[in-house]
Amino acid sequence: MRDFLDERPLKLRREVAGDRGYWRVFALALSLVLVSVLLIVLDRQGVIAPARLMVRETIQPLAGWLTQRRSELLSWWATPRDAATMQARIAELEAENTRLAAEVLRLEQARVENIFLRQQLAITQSYPWTILGAEVMIRAPDAARRVLTIARGANDGVRVGMAVIGQQPGGPPALIGVVEAVGPRTADVLMITDISSQLSVRLLQADTAPLGLMQGQWQRGSRMRVELIDRSITMREGDHVVTAGISGALNLPLDLASMPTAVPIGVVEAVRQEGQRQIGEIRPFVDPDQVRYVWVILSQDD
Amino acid sequence: MGNSQPRRLEERLARELGLLLILLVIALIQVTLLTGPTGFSVPILLVLAIARALVGSSTAEPVRGLIRSLWWAFYGGLALDVLGSLPIGSHAIAQLLAVIVVGLATRRFAVERPIVPLLAVAFGTLIYEAVLWLIVLPPISDWQTYGLIVMLPSLLLALIPTLPVVAIVHRLVRNTEYQ
Repeated sequence: MRDFLDERPLKLRREVAGDRGYWRVFALALSLVLVSVLLIVLDRQGVIAPARLMVRETIQPLAGWLTQRRSELLSWWATPRDAATMQARIAELEAENTRLAAEVLRLEQARVENIFLRQQLAITQSYPWTILGAEVMIRAPDAARRVLTIARGANDGVRVGMAVIGQQPGGPPALIGVVEAVGPRTADVLMITDISSQLSVRLLQADTAPLGLMQGQWQRGSRMRVELIDRSITMREGDHVVTAGISGALNLPLDLASMPTAVPIGVVEAVRQEGQRQIGEIRPFVDPDQVRYVWVILSQDD
Repeated sequence: MGNSQPRRLEERLARELGLLLILLVIALIQVTLLTGPTGFSVPILLVLAIARALVGSSTAEPVRGLIRSLWWAFYGGLALDVLGSLPIGSHAIAQLLAVIVVGLATRRFAVERPIVPLLAVAFGTLIYEAVLWLIVLPPISDWQTYGLIVMLPSLLLALIPTLPVVAIVHRLVRNTEYQ
């Protein structure tokens, strides 16, 4: 660096006649300014652009290296070095993490809710029901009874005897249980697979829809079975089973009067003879043990 | 004796080329390491040229000192022009005018007093930015906005390295002087 400062050693004392040569300064300044103006004109005409590009290409690796060093320097500068600052930073990040986790959870809930609402919309467009969505809160821990608790109750219009349906991907909305007990904000649903669950149903056959009685069989190692009232009719595998809604149709003062007609339940999977009785094993369209979100049928449009 | 003049010329050319390269490296540092998040960079080359003019004009041969500072300003300006987006020659003109005005105006003041370099750099930065404003006049026609948004931050940034740079240049020039 020292070599570039002056072309010859400086004198120690200021000369008396030192101010006489300032015209040289002005002359050089004027010359350099003129050269600069000429360079501007040439650059605007595109004459110097290739040379400028070449110089830039040449120094690009060095510029990149310097920029990288700058980034590292800034990163190092931003890194906390004392324990108190680090603890404060950790606390700040933990708070941020908590906030983001809550936000992720909220978005996930919204996504799930969106799925259920879409399902609900599809059901109401396809079936003449007024339904109310409900989240499954609790499943009975004991195997003695197949009951689940939903997050809807009397305050939402839920009554004992109402049908509760669910839906699994690719399948129709189908009955999973009947409201058994109602609290202000919750309700217990007796699953159709429970042995104490008995419903009047119809089997959909080609030219008839015979009545039958369906009973849960979970405690017996199966799911549901159906027995026809009219023993002269032959039950076949593949017959679809729907609710009969007898109590409602007859306007009987029973809880099950709220049960609508023609709610899908399942399909007859196997038929066996017990004496003169035909017993059909039903495979439900919706497994009540698998549902996380259900709908209560509040009413059925006529 | 016969070939001493050509060798002298070669040495001088090598020295000028070396100075140009050093200033190009400093320009690179200015536009990479010394840039802030807001886009401003510390105008280290301008400060160097002004410091060279201050120190040079306070020596026994002020004319030669000022001439050297003009070359520093010119080379430094060209280095910035190569790396910048304005036409080549823009920064060179701006630095030349800043250095010539400040160098002549402060030649009677003692550079050892801190206020002198600070005022000189502040004044020089205003001239430098004003010249650049004139060159880029069509896009930024509001000089008040330009002064507030560009000139003032540049001026403050230029003042940061002023005293250390003047001290370093002063020391280098004096060391050369006593050799």
